[in-house]
Amino acid sequence: MAEMRVVKFEVLRFGPETDTEPRFDTYEVPCMEDWVVLDALNAIKDDIDPTLSHRWSCRMGVCGSCGMLVNGRPVLTCAAFVRNYTGTIRVEPLSNFPVVRDLVVDLGSFIDKIKSVKPWIIRKIEKDVGQGEYRQSPEQLAEFKQYSMCINCALCYAACPVLASEPEFLGPAAIALGHRYNMDSRDEGNAERFDTLADADGVWACSYANECSQVCPKHVDPAMAIQQAKLTSALQWLHVVPKKSFT
Amino acid sequence: MSHAQTRTSSTPTAPARKPSGFPLGWRRYRSYTLFAFTCIPMAISGLLLLQGVSALGQGEQAWAAWLAGLASPGMVALNLFCLAFTLYFAFRFGWVGRKIAAGRIGPIPAPGLPMPILGIAPLGGFVTLWIVLLLILGGAIG
Repeated sequence: MAEMRVVKFEVLRFGPETDTEPRFDTYEVPCMEDWVVLDALNAIKDDIDPTLSHRWSCRMGVCGSCGMLVNGRPVLTCAAFVRNYTGTIRVEPLSNFPVVRDLVVDLGSFIDKIKSVKPWIIRKIEKDVGQGEYRQSPEQLAEFKQYSMCINCALCYAACPVLASEPEFLGPAAIALGHRYNMDSRDEGNAERFDTLADADGVWACSYANECSQVCPKHVDPAMAIQQAKLTSALQWLHVVPKKSFT
Repeated sequence: MSHAQTRTSSTPTAPARKPSGFPLGWRRYRSYTLFAFTCIPMAISGLLLLQGVSALGQGEQAWAAWLAGLASPGMVALNLFCLAFTLYFAFRFGWVGRKIAAGRIGPIPAPGLPMPILGIAPLGGFVTLWIVLLLILGGAIG
């Protein structure tokens, strides 16, 4: 049998119905060499304390459900290997989001912000299906492909110092997604997104801390998207490039 | 437009938790604040420059007195302080410039000039206007 190492975890516990203040519960968890923090949380729930609440799904860095703070850094717990940490490992819910229970946060505001940038292809006139697909060259795809890698894990929102002080800020993921569709050669909806993206709570609230890009687990560069979107918004505002030509 | 949470839910929640140590105990916020703070040393640099241009406009004696004032240890320290923050801002702003190059916007054809030039041009215009303003306020032209 593979060797187990006992690792101490401090996990934030909080039930808004019963608790007035969050607390840290300590668990000593026998961990295997290849375990990630999510495995340890599942072991706590299965074998030590079934009242622990945390969110997870795919366990392979795709679904974006298991984002938490591990030793203060926003990470996907399914990709955070226990062996890479020394001493006690502290696990907390993502900051800048209301806490539903323990490690589960309410992502409602995040979803609202994502929806506000209309993250879908907008066409003035839709082609009939019989007319075939919208063709796109590899160069056109390359212009936005990295932004479509976002898995909506919200780690960038927990890392953003602007969001920590201005909760109204549209935020990195939503702006990157709106910019992704603006850059898509098949899309004609940049005018519909302009008011949201170019708002004072939109791209102009970003002061380029660049922390979003530092923590992104999929190597998207939201900070780059925001800076590009700023230039786009300024040029549209100056009418150097049109914003209503296709809508 | 507000992006605040608008949905109502029957699920009780606790308020959003701020990052540990927020604001200035949090490394990410310190870095963010440091960048914002660069405006103060840069403003001091601008005022010193304005004072120098003004002295230049007043004649040789005023110019010599201004130069002599710059030689004091306190002024040297202040200028080094301002230089450090101005360089920090310049490098970081340059990093942003590297990122703003965008090919085009949706199906809209690319503008005639390359995007990096379109991005840098307003900055160049701003710097030019600032220098002209300094020269006018300092009495060197106008």
